[in-house]
Amino acid sequence: MRKYASWLLASTLTFAPMFAHAAVPAGDYVIGFVTDSTGPLAAAGQSFTHGAELAAAEITASNYVAPGAKLTLDIKEAAGDAARSIQDMHQFLADRRVIATSCCILSPIVNSVKPVIAEKLALVVYGATAPGLPSPPWVYSVTALPGPKDTETAATVAKALKPKTVAYFVSADNDAFKARMAAAEAAVKQTGATTAAVISVLGTDTDFTAPATQAMGANPDVIMVYTTQSPAVGIIAALRARGYKGAIVGNDVLAPAAMWKKIGAPLVGVPFPLSFSPDVNQSAEAKAFVAAYTKQYGNPPDLYSAQGYQAIWLIGQALHSMDGQPTREGVAAALAKQTGIDHNVYGGQAVKNGQAEVTGLTIVNWTADGTLAAWKAP
Amino acid sequence: MQLLLEQVVNGCAIGALYGLFAIGFGLVFATLGILNAAHGTYASFAAIAGYYAVVYLGLPFVPAMVLGVITGAVLAVIVDQIAFQPLRKRGAGMLGALITSIAFWMILDSLAGLATEQQSLSFPAGTYPTWIIMAGSVPLPAMQVIAIVSLVVVTVAIHWLITRSRLGAAMRAVGWNETAAQLGGVNPRLVILATASLAGATSGLAGVLGGISTNNVSFTLGEGMLLKGFAAVVVGGYDDVRGAAVAGVGLGVAEVLSAQYISTSMRDAITYALLLSFLVLRPRGLFGRTSFMRA
Amino acid sequence: MSMLLDWWAAYESTLAFAIVNAFFALSTYAVMATGILSFATVAFAAVGGFLGVQLLAQLGLPLWIVLPGSAVGGCAAALLVSVVFLRLESHWLALASLALILITRILVLNAPALTGGVNGLSVPVEAPFWLLLVLLASVSVGFWRLSVSWYGIAARAVREDPAVAGSLGIAPKTIQLIGFAISGAMGGLGGVLLAMTLQFVSPETYYIPVAFTMIAAVVLGGSYHWTGAIIGALVFTALPQIMQAVVPQVQNVANGLALLLIMIMLPRGLIDPRAWRIRRALRDARR
Repeated sequence: MRKYASWLLASTLTFAPMFAHAAVPAGDYVIGFVTDSTGPLAAAGQSFTHGAELAAAEITASNYVAPGAKLTLDIKEAAGDAARSIQDMHQFLADRRVIATSCCILSPIVNSVKPVIAEKLALVVYGATAPGLPSPPWVYSVTALPGPKDTETAATVAKALKPKTVAYFVSADNDAFKARMAAAEAAVKQTGATTAAVISVLGTDTDFTAPATQAMGANPDVIMVYTTQSPAVGIIAALRARGYKGAIVGNDVLAPAAMWKKIGAPLVGVPFPLSFSPDVNQSAEAKAFVAAYTKQYGNPPDLYSAQGYQAIWLIGQALHSMDGQPTREGVAAALAKQTGIDHNVYGGQAVKNGQAEVTGLTIVNWTADGTLAAWKAP
Repeated sequence: MQLLLEQVVNGCAIGALYGLFAIGFGLVFATLGILNAAHGTYASFAAIAGYYAVVYLGLPFVPAMVLGVITGAVLAVIVDQIAFQPLRKRGAGMLGALITSIAFWMILDSLAGLATEQQSLSFPAGTYPTWIIMAGSVPLPAMQVIAIVSLVVVTVAIHWLITRSRLGAAMRAVGWNETAAQLGGVNPRLVILATASLAGATSGLAGVLGGISTNNVSFTLGEGMLLKGFAAVVVGGYDDVRGAAVAGVGLGVAEVLSAQYISTSMRDAITYALLLSFLVLRPRGLFGRTSFMRA
Repeated sequence: MSMLLDWWAAYESTLAFAIVNAFFALSTYAVMATGILSFATVAFAAVGGFLGVQLLAQLGLPLWIVLPGSAVGGCAAALLVSVVFLRLESHWLALASLALILITRILVLNAPALTGGVNGLSVPVEAPFWLLLVLLASVSVGFWRLSVSWYGIAARAVREDPAVAGSLGIAPKTIQLIGFAISGAMGGLGGVLLAMTLQFVSPETYYIPVAFTMIAAVVLGGSYHWTGAIIGALVFTALPQIMQAVVPQVQNVANGLALLLIMIMLPRGLIDPRAWRIRRALRDARR
């Protein structure tokens, strides 16, 4: 069924423009893919990589780029380390088969590989969330930027629950989260709620009992959490363990199924905005993606898998739009012409100034049976 | 006042874990002269073993904890025998052992990552005690009480062992000078195995308790403890377990209170400023003896 | 030919990192040669690195000022630190130098005007490969001259037995102070070269992993001869790249095992002057 669906999809996408120009010749097209599948970011890193692998396999199987054209990933490990990412990129530069690259979960690492590949090799960022990373025609990002969605979610929840005071948790060592929290706080203030406390935590923190005690000491009506993944789940678990009964607002780091498996019950009813989830996204592409991914890797995809998947589909689409032998410059120029990703799991994905944008806002929460459902104001 | 008391309790509970971890780290350093970079991985593996015992074998909390502690001890002995014993035989000194411990750190961290599929796991709710004692208006959650009691018991027991028992005398003798101890009729092999397993067991205990109370069972658990335990050893001094215990609790309380009343971003600065001033002003730790001299 | 060029392009950056690590290893070797285990090189590298980046980016100074400037900065930091460190007994010194790395990171994080804070700074100038090679060659000449000088002999005596060295009229603390000064200069230079090779610096650039890398490089290569530091840095930098190509699934386990095996087989490192002397003596005896 899935094969049929993707074949149908691929054929409509492929054959329509095929008559317009001569396609890319058959051959082996290699994308250099820097992964962080070990080290501190390993969990997310594996999701990104699995999504990308699946996209490459689908593009090849459906002859999407051109009949007989094979898209392969050359995956090199960087373990979240800037120096190793740079070395990997240098190896891709030297490998003449590599026509485009994809990398990076951490924004500082994107900044340090950018000068390496500058003007030589196109890069599609799959995971780093800092705004302003893309610079066409060489650097693109398919990361679903969470900032604007956080602000909307905070405002929506504040309007529904009408809190008088709100306490915030923020990752003090992460500028992206600091900006997200500041924007959310401003939106909440417009609804008339005051700030009871801002509690900062660090990415490497492990104990959250004391910060939870601090937040509860400020006696807020709602607690909003803008931190990286392990602090976010730690904070929510600690708040509930210490008996906090009020509302908590989270962010998209709570979405992976592994987080439910890890923390469980304390997450129930915590609203957060979401770009992708197998439970919520129900388009034909999304269903096909979920089914294929689950079959291949034994667990359903998460928002990170979706981003890895879209990164490779964006490159595939650029190749598909070209005719003649693709060069590195040609791929970059073709990427610059893409205004959206046609094959996407979100139900719409425009590309503006090198940044792919996910349209629409979905606020979800975990339910007691371990699935995600659209959040409803109580 | 209420908040202050609650935070002091929180600080003591975190500090108890630092202290437990630091005792083992300091013990190996003082007796065997090894700066063991792999010490944190014992904690990670103990927590992972405890987790699997609870989730897959369905063991209750106490046996799972014991299993974790044994895992820590066994691992410490294996690492010692593979990584340190060959060097010891050749008299290669502290440097070689540091490097082989780094090697084991790389290996075990990577294996721990594979064992949890690179995820950070948590003990499921209901597999560990969650009762709360009310001391007046201050809540004392079970895991915090267990951590603090464990630290007190372990510190008293090991301090007694080292200062009063024959094994302890032998350990001190080996720490002073291994050759001289051997001439005096001490079996250094036995002392080495006892020290390694004791250190692994305390690290394992800290790992299981820390894995539960911080919702983090993964290879990052040990790494975090390694830095904090290391700080506790520097402040407390490595030749006395009481120092490591007191310093661990002190660091925990200082951390929590500075985050509450000053700022989170200054929290680590305060911890390490404390560390620096101890190094400059009292460079042998809290209970250090100025006459201590290593051969 | 084109294959060779491709290979070179692919591994040039690995070799560049190996050379940068060689400066760090030499810095660690400089103090180890006087009998001190210190991780403080990372802190000197941070001083040299951030100082150099500021000189390059803010003042736009040329390299021939920036590189010596960073070395002097590292050297000054080393002299300052050694005043406290040399009062400590050897085990404490090792612990204190680790603590210094942690403290340095906090300082770097809390001085965003100079260091860019958590976001780090990008570095506008890349270190050309020939420059790294020339610098390493000239530093090597320096270390070779030192090793055969009075200082080199005095340092060996202090390392073997400070008390005996003292009775021979060598002041151990002075020798160790000089060792720290050399270490600081090498660390500072390595710091700015690392920044220029990465083209980006952040608090994580100069942190615990670098410390363990350089210590492992020195001991692996052989801590009894200055060439050991360079060889060790080369091996230790190339190892992850090789393991990635050979056994990608368990590369970290393989790295660790390789390190473990080398240390157990050759506890004095790959370059071991004593083994050479023994071999030469045996050969002479047979003659």
